Amino acid sequence: MTKLPWAALAAGITLAAAPPIVIQNARVLTVTRGAFTGAVIVKDGKIAEAAEKVMIPPGARVIDAGGQYLMPGIIDCHSHIAADSINEGAASVSSMVGIEDVLNPDDISIYRALAGGVTTANILHGSANSIGGKCTVIKTRWGKDADGLKFEGAMPGIKFALGENPKRQGMDDGPAGSRRNLRYPGTRMGVEDVIREAFTEAKAYQARWKEYEAGKARGETLIPPRRDLKLEPLVEVLEGKRFVHAHCYRADEILMLLRVADEFGFKIRTLQHVLEGYKVAREIAAHGAGASTFSDWWSYKVEAYDAIPYNAAIMVRKGVLVSLNSDSGELMRRLNTEAAKTMKYGGLTETEALSLITINPAKQLKIDDRVGSIEVGKDADLVLFDKHPLSSYAKVQKVFIDGVVYFDRDKDLSERRLLELNKRKLLEKEKQSAPQQKKQDRRPQ
Amino acid sequence: MKYRVLALACSALLLSAGETVAEVPSVIAIRGARIVTVSGPVIARGAVILRDGLIEAVGDAQPPPGAWIIDGEGLTVYPGLLDALSTLGLPDTPSLNGTGRPNATRPQGAPPAVPRGPEDRPLNTSYLRAADELSPTDRRLEAARNAGFTGAVTFPTQGVFAGLGAVIDLAGKRPGQMVVQSPAGLYLTTHSGGFGSGYPSSLMGVIAYIRQIYLDAGQYKTAKAIYAAHPKGLKRPGYDKWLEGVLEAPRVLLPARDPKEMERMLRLGEELNLKVLLYGLAEGFRAPEILKNRNAQVLVNLRWPEKPRAADPEAEETLRDLETRDLAPSTPAALVKAGVKFAFYAGALEKPSDVAPAIRRAMNAGLSHDNAVRALTLNVAELYGVSDRLGSVEKGKIANLVVTRGDLFRDKTEVKYVFVDGIKYEPAAEAPAPAPEVTR
Amino acid sequence: MKPVALWIAAAAALYAASDDSFLIRGAAVYPVAAPGIENASLLVLDGRVAEVGAKVAAPRGVRVIDGKGLRVYPGMIDSATEVGISEIGAVGVTNDVRELGDFKPQLRAGIAVNPSSEHIPVIRANGITAAMAIPDGGVIAGQASLMRLDGWTWEEMAVKLDAALHLNFPTITTRRFPAGAAPFSEAKRDYERRLKQLDEYLEQARRYRTAKKAGGPDFRTDLHFEAMLPVLEGKVPLMVSAVREREIKAALEWAEKQKLRLVLSEVRKPGAMLAELKAKQIPVILGPTQDLPLDHDDPYDAAFTLPAELYKAGVKFAFGSFGNQFSRNLPYQAATAVAFGLPYDEGLKSVTLYPAGIWGVSAEMGSIEKGKWADLMVTDGDPLEVRTQVRRLFIKGKEVDLESKHTRLYKRYLARP
Repeated sequence: MTKLPWAALAAGITLAAAPPIVIQNARVLTVTRGAFTGAVIVKDGKIAEAAEKVMIPPGARVIDAGGQYLMPGIIDCHSHIAADSINEGAASVSSMVGIEDVLNPDDISIYRALAGGVTTANILHGSANSIGGKCTVIKTRWGKDADGLKFEGAMPGIKFALGENPKRQGMDDGPAGSRRNLRYPGTRMGVEDVIREAFTEAKAYQARWKEYEAGKARGETLIPPRRDLKLEPLVEVLEGKRFVHAHCYRADEILMLLRVADEFGFKIRTLQHVLEGYKVAREIAAHGAGASTFSDWWSYKVEAYDAIPYNAAIMVRKGVLVSLNSDSGELMRRLNTEAAKTMKYGGLTETEALSLITINPAKQLKIDDRVGSIEVGKDADLVLFDKHPLSSYAKVQKVFIDGVVYFDRDKDLSERRLLELNKRKLLEKEKQSAPQQKKQDRRPQ
Repeated sequence: MKYRVLALACSALLLSAGETVAEVPSVIAIRGARIVTVSGPVIARGAVILRDGLIEAVGDAQPPPGAWIIDGEGLTVYPGLLDALSTLGLPDTPSLNGTGRPNATRPQGAPPAVPRGPEDRPLNTSYLRAADELSPTDRRLEAARNAGFTGAVTFPTQGVFAGLGAVIDLAGKRPGQMVVQSPAGLYLTTHSGGFGSGYPSSLMGVIAYIRQIYLDAGQYKTAKAIYAAHPKGLKRPGYDKWLEGVLEAPRVLLPARDPKEMERMLRLGEELNLKVLLYGLAEGFRAPEILKNRNAQVLVNLRWPEKPRAADPEAEETLRDLETRDLAPSTPAALVKAGVKFAFYAGALEKPSDVAPAIRRAMNAGLSHDNAVRALTLNVAELYGVSDRLGSVEKGKIANLVVTRGDLFRDKTEVKYVFVDGIKYEPAAEAPAPAPEVTR
Repeated sequence: MKPVALWIAAAAALYAASDDSFLIRGAAVYPVAAPGIENASLLVLDGRVAEVGAKVAAPRGVRVIDGKGLRVYPGMIDSATEVGISEIGAVGVTNDVRELGDFKPQLRAGIAVNPSSEHIPVIRANGITAAMAIPDGGVIAGQASLMRLDGWTWEEMAVKLDAALHLNFPTITTRRFPAGAAPFSEAKRDYERRLKQLDEYLEQARRYRTAKKAGGPDFRTDLHFEAMLPVLEGKVPLMVSAVREREIKAALEWAEKQKLRLVLSEVRKPGAMLAELKAKQIPVILGPTQDLPLDHDDPYDAAFTLPAELYKAGVKFAFGSFGNQFSRNLPYQAATAVAFGLPYDEGLKSVTLYPAGIWGVSAEMGSIEKGKWADLMVTDGDPLEVRTQVRRLFIKGKEVDLESKHTRLYKRYLARP
C-alpha cells in the first residue's frame, strides 16, 4: 500500500523503456474475443499480443499466471473517490465547478479500488443539483499526482440529477417556517424547468458570443461579453463536446430528460442509477443513452422502491448499452461479483456479465478504443484473479495499468509489517522528543 | 510592559503626546558590533550608522559628531525580522491559526442572504485594505518586537477573497506611518462557508469561484478601457468594487499544504496568469521539485504540525500524519536544496516567542543559520518586492534592525535592542516571567 | 364475490394445498452439522426433519420431490436486520427501529414486524429463512426478535421474541457534530457519566427483583424492570455493539462485574481481546464483513480477513447484514470470508448452525437434523456463490413461494411491448 515516493513520480516516463512483459499460462477472458488459455504480451504499456501460443520476446519479463484468470481492468462508470469535494450544493445549476480541480491522488480509496481490480473510473459530481458539476475520467494510477490520474483524451462529462436529491433542498415539507433558505426546485416539475431554463440561457449565451465575434470581424468596437463558467459547459453539451451523465431513478423523470434533450438537440450519454430504466428501456434504447446501474440496491428511498435486480438484464435484452457501477468506495472493490448477480437475476451470459464492468462502460465513456477488453493495441490494463472473476471466491492478485503493476497482493502482504514498524518507530520518536519540547515551552519568556 | 522605548537624550519629550519622530536624536551609531548584513558578507566588527530612520553607513564608518553611540561590543546586528504573513497591527482580525470556519463576511450592497452563485460575490472583501485598518496600539506589536521583529506583511483573513495586505513597520505613532508598501498582495483562502451556507459550499466551488472572479476582473478591465476610449454608443460597464481590489493586487497568496495542493494552486495561478505566493507548505518536504519545476515562491508556516491536543490517546493515526509531524521542519532545508525561494511566516504561531524554537527545529532538520535568517529578512522583502528598502543591513535602507547578544534563534539569545524606522526599542530590564503552567 | 374476498379465498386455498410433509429424493443433502451426502433422500413429516439418508422410504401419501441435480441446505439465518420494522430507509414513517428514550428494555421488535413487508419475500428468495429484527436507539434499545420469514402474522413468524436485549454500550466519542472534535477528557467524562447511568439502571433492576421476591404490600409492577429480569438471570443475552479493542474490553469487564451474558456485535478491531472472547466463550455477530477498513492504514482486506482471524482464535461468530436491502446477500459475506482464509464449512455454519446456537434455538433450526424444523433451501449449487439459484424454499416444512415484488415487476416489464 505504500506509495511510490514523490520523487519517483516521473516513473511513467522511464517505463516507456521497460522490457516487455509476458503473462503466460493464464485463462484469458478477453470479453470481446472469447476466452482462451494462453499468454498476453505487453509492450510499451499496450497489449502487443494475446494468443494461445506466443513467442517470448528477448529480454521480456515473464509472469507465470499459473492458470489464473486474466481479464481487462474493471471500469466503474460512477464513482466519487479521489476527489476533495463532491457536491457544490448551493446552486441549482453548479456546472461551473469541476472534479478536475479537486482530484486527490492521495485518497486511499484509489488503492482499495485497485485492489478490487478497478483501473478506470468516472469521477462524478454529486447529485444535489439538477445540473451538477463537471466530471473527470481517471485511471487508478496510485502514486501518481493529480495529472497522472487523468485518463488522457477521455471526453469530459457533466453530471445532471433528477428526482429526490436535487429537489430535497426545495421541499417545504416540514412544519411551517421550519425550512429556511429553500432552494428551487422542490418538485420534479421544477427540475425539468431548471434544465430547460439553463439550456435556454446557454443558447442565448452561445448566440451572444457569435454575435460579438461577427461584430468584431466587421471591425466594430465592442465590449466582449462576460465569460460565464456556468454556461460554457452547457454550450459544450449542445455542441456535443461534453457528455451528460444523469442521475435518475423513476421512469417518468428518465423520459422527461430524454425529451428535454431532444428538444434542445443534444444526447444523454448515460443515465446513472436509472433503477426504473427497465420500465422505459425501449425509450432509452431509442434515444441511444447508455444506462449505468446498480446490481441489487433498492428500498433506501421511495424512488428506489420499484428497483429490481433484474434491471440490468431487462435493459440489456431491450437493446440498451448497460454498465454496472458502484457509487461507493466500498462496492467499487467487488464489481466483479456485482456483475455475477446479473447472471443470477435475469440470466445474462458470462460474457454479457463481464461486459457490464468492462467494454460497456468503456463505450459509454467513449474510451473503448483504449480500454475495456483484451485486444491487441489497447492499453495493458489487466487484472489477474485467482479464480473466475464471476465467482464469490475470486481475489485480485495483480493489477496492471498501462503495463505497470499497480497492485500486487503478495507485495501488499509483505509490506504490511513494514508500515506497522514505521508507525511504531515514529510514535516512539515523538514520545521521546515530547518532554523536551514541553520543557522548552515552559521556560520563562 | 515588556518593552519600553528608550527615549535617550529627550525621553520626556518622546513619551509625551503629539511627539514626532523628528525630535528623536537623528543619528545613532552602533559601534564595535558583529554585523550580519544578509545581503553581503558578515562583518566581524564594525559600525552601523542610522540617520533619520535610514541606514546611513555600514562597516568601518566613523560615528559622525553628535551621534548617540551604542556600544556594540559582544552584540550582533541583524536586519529586523519580517513576518511574511500575519495579522499584526489588525487587532480585530482573526489570526491565521484558527481552523474553524471563517465568518461568512458578506460584502456590502445587500447581496441575497444565501448566495447562489459567483455573481453574488460571496466571501469577497477584496476591497479591504490592511493599510486602512492598522492600529499602532495593537498589543501584539510589542511582543513581536520583543522577539526581534520590526516588520510584517499583514492581511485581512476572512472569506475567500480576504483583502489586500500591506508591508508594515511594527511601530509608528499613527497608522499611516507604519505602512511601507500597500497593497502588498491579495490574501485568498479556500475556506468555503460549508454546507448550507450558500455558494460556494465546497472546495471545487471555491476554485470555480476564484476562476470566475478573475475572468470577470479581466473582462471588467477590458470593458472599462474600451468604454473610456469609446463611450458613445456603448453600454456602460457598471462599477464592481469586489473586482477593483482584485485588479489592484500585485500578487496573490494561495494556500497549499501538501504536494497535491501545491500542484493544484500553482496550476490555478498559471491558468489565471497570477503572480502567486504559496503559503503553508507543512508537507513541502515531500516534493520540493514541484515548486522548483514551476518556479514557485513560497511562504512557509513556522507552526509545525503537532499532535492534536486533547485528542483521544488511542485514536489511530495515519503513517502520513506521523511522518508529517516528524518531517515538516525539514521542509525549509529541502526547499534550499531544491533551489526554491521561500520566506517564513509566524502569523499562525500562538506567540512570537515560539519563533525561535520553531526555527531551531528547522535547523535541526538541516537548515543553515544563514538561510534561516534570510528567510525571515531579505527573502521576505524580495518576495514582496520591497528589498530596495527592507530586509538587509545596507546603506539607504530603512533603519530596521535587531541587535542581540548571541546568535539569533539560540535558546539563550537575548534581544538587546530593536530599531524600527531608526527608533530604538528595548525589552524591559525586568520582564516579568509568565506564571508557570505547572508548579513543581 | 368482492375482489378482496376472492383474493383471500385464493390465498387460503394455496396454503391449504401446501403440505408440510414430503420427501426430497436424489438430491445432495448438506446437513451442515454432519458431512454432506450425495444422492440422498430427506424426509420431512409435519414440518420437521424425520430422516436423512441414502435410502429413505416415502410413507404413503407423502409428496415426493425430485431433487436430481439439486442440493439441500438448512435455511440461512441473518443475525442482524431490520426486517419488517423498516420498509423504506429515507421515509421516517416506514421505520420502527428507533424509539425515544435511553432505557427501554420492555420494547419488543417482533411485535412491530410487518408480515406484509415487501422485504420478506425478497430476502427469503435467496435462502434466508430466519432473521433477527433488531431495535436501535438510546442505550438499552429493546428486545431483538428472531423471526421466521414466513407467516400470516408476526405471531406466526416469531421464533423468539426476546432472543436478545440490544444494548448500545457507551463509547468515548470525541467526534461532535458540527463542532468537529471534543477534547478527550470531556468525552471521557461524558462516557463515565453514561456508564454510571447504566450501572444505576441495572442496580435499580436488581432492587426491583429483590422487592418482587419479597412481595411487600408496596410492590408495584414496572414493565421496564420486568423486562430486565430474564437478562439479570442470564436467560436472555445482551447484544452489545463494540467495535474496537477498548470498547470490547470495557464491555467485557462491565458484563463480568454485572454477571451478564453477552453477545458482541459489530466487532471490527478486537486486537488483544480475541483470547478473552474465546476464554469467556462470548460469541460475536460480524458484519457487514465486506466493509471498508476501519482506519486509513488498515490492510485493504481487513474486514474480509476478520472472520478467519476470529476462527483461528477460536471465537464463535455469525454473520449479520445490519439492514434490510442487503440481507439477501448474507451468503456472500460468508463467501468473502472464505476467499480470505475462513474454511468453507465454517463459512456455511456461520449463516446456519452458529446463529441458531447463539440465539438459543439450535434444537429447532440451523441444521438438517432429525427433529428440527424443516427450514430448508434447495439450490442448484453452492449457496455462497453469487451465480447459484435457490430453487425451492421450505419453512417449517411448508414450501414457500419464491415470488417477490422483484420477480413480479421483472415479469411484467420484460413483457412490455
